[in-house]
Amino acid sequence: MAATTPLLQVRDLAVRYSNGDLALHHVSFEIKSPSFMAIIGPNGSGKSTLVKTSLGLIKPSRGTIKVMGYDSQKKSGKIRKLVRYVPQRDRIDLAIPMKVKDIVLMGRLLKKLPPRFATSKDIAIAKDALQQVNMEELWERPFPELSGGQRQRVLVARALASEGSILVLDEPLAGTDVESQNLIVEALGRYHKENDVSIIMVTHDLNPIHTLVEDVLLLKNTVIGLGEPCSIMDPELIKKVYGPTARIVEHSGHRYCMTHDSGIDRHD
Amino acid sequence: MIDIIQIIIESPFLQRAILGALLIAIVAAASGTFLVFRGLSFMASGVAHAALGGTALGIFLQDSGLVPWFDPILGALLFSVLVAAFTGYAGESGITQKMEVAVGVSFALSMSFAVFLMYYIPPYRVPQIWGYLIGDILLLNDLDIIMLGSTTLLLAVITLMFNKEFVYVSVDMEGSTAHGMNARAYHYLMLIVSALAIALATKAVGAILVYAIMVAPAAASNELVKSVRGVIFSVFLIALIAELAGIATSFVVFVSPSAIAGILAALSYILALQIKRLKEKVDVDIDDPALYPDDLKVTWIQSLSHEHEDEHEH
Repeated sequence: MAATTPLLQVRDLAVRYSNGDLALHHVSFEIKSPSFMAIIGPNGSGKSTLVKTSLGLIKPSRGTIKVMGYDSQKKSGKIRKLVRYVPQRDRIDLAIPMKVKDIVLMGRLLKKLPPRFATSKDIAIAKDALQQVNMEELWERPFPELSGGQRQRVLVARALASEGSILVLDEPLAGTDVESQNLIVEALGRYHKENDVSIIMVTHDLNPIHTLVEDVLLLKNTVIGLGEPCSIMDPELIKKVYGPTARIVEHSGHRYCMTHDSGIDRHD
Repeated sequence: MIDIIQIIIESPFLQRAILGALLIAIVAAASGTFLVFRGLSFMASGVAHAALGGTALGIFLQDSGLVPWFDPILGALLFSVLVAAFTGYAGESGITQKMEVAVGVSFALSMSFAVFLMYYIPPYRVPQIWGYLIGDILLLNDLDIIMLGSTTLLLAVITLMFNKEFVYVSVDMEGSTAHGMNARAYHYLMLIVSALAIALATKAVGAILVYAIMVAPAAASNELVKSVRGVIFSVFLIALIAELAGIATSFVVFVSPSAIAGILAALSYILALQIKRLKEKVDVDIDDPALYPDDLKVTWIQSLSHEHEDEHEH
């Protein structure tokens, strides 16, 4: 099934923000499965909106989006069984005294039915996932007391510990230091290689994951480009999205993009 | 000690008061904790006042003969559930500020509704509306205990079963939904069951005690305790000690037990803030140089000297 059904199948999609502005319009594309894909574009280009729509969290105003053949509106339950989701970091409420282990175990327990008890197997998998982002020593630490980069690593570990063939990560590298970035990128790359999973990653900066991703979707409220990383790193395409100040730099056989853009999108 | 036990055995009202204190402490632990987690501490007073509007409606329907069987307490419960549902609807996206606004609006709406109906209710029954807010833990009757007890039991069972879900909804509503949990259902369940318990607790022991016990111990515990289970347990202890101390004091001094319990609960929060401040101060002392880079210090000194110059001019 995985060989034939596309990971994402989008037909003439249009989505509005809650304030009524058009976030996405005339979006149509298809991504094969499995894939490590990146959705890139500047702030406000509709990247997060696209993934949230695919999970059935937002209702499209026109068109359809299918994940592994399941319609995002009619079959969202089926999609959510497959998906492990890492929301933008500031979506996690820090007023609740959660420990690092509680957050990582969430990934496992959310896929169970109440009363959602953690078995010793769950705990072993959660510890292993933390180890992959080099955080296993902080198992008992209060989550709200961690630095931004550490919190992000814990959230990635939550996704690694969970079950389902699709990992969806919304800006997992935003506001993290180089060490955290490298750890997250390496862990995701390794996980994709060793397991039969797809990874969909929203990011404003393609460079850290450039050598790992297979498909890149360049978005500015509609599809500007779709292809391999180096073909997307086309000066004309990039300027169209990021403005005339964007530059492409070639280094050891790969093209990298330099923009002034950084930070997290916020649309509440 | 034996004297105290003797007194308790001989006075049923005291037994009911102690049982009531225990039940209210359970309500605070099960419901107050999660309301404070969600930043909804205002909901306790919002629901209690909304219930006032419901009581007015109940009295009006009874008195006008429209629906003679409609007990005012049914109105109170109905309104508190409506407030919870409205609050839940406003906060479906998981944004706390929107829920606080919804609580505020429904507070105002149901109070206005109560005042509106007061003109159509015979004057001798109006005190009954306000009486809804004034309960006394020493005046509990058997019916109060039965109603409060059954709601507390319901709340306790639901919280025991779904505490993880309530935590997940509070921590990461979007992520929980995306992983396949029916976050919306738990979001509403938590608010509605809390509202029912708050409404009945208010009727039984009075508004002041409910506000104080629902919010302050949970806020205090959340400042200091570092695990969800620890907070729930600590809320129960603080609430129970405050209430029992209130009841005990009322035997020695002529004073309302609710007032003493309320003051003690509020003090627990102030104390927790102070302890946390002291702890933070110790931490800051350790990293002192890192927190005050040189350029910051210079600006600070400059601004100080400017202030002095201003003083000379005057």
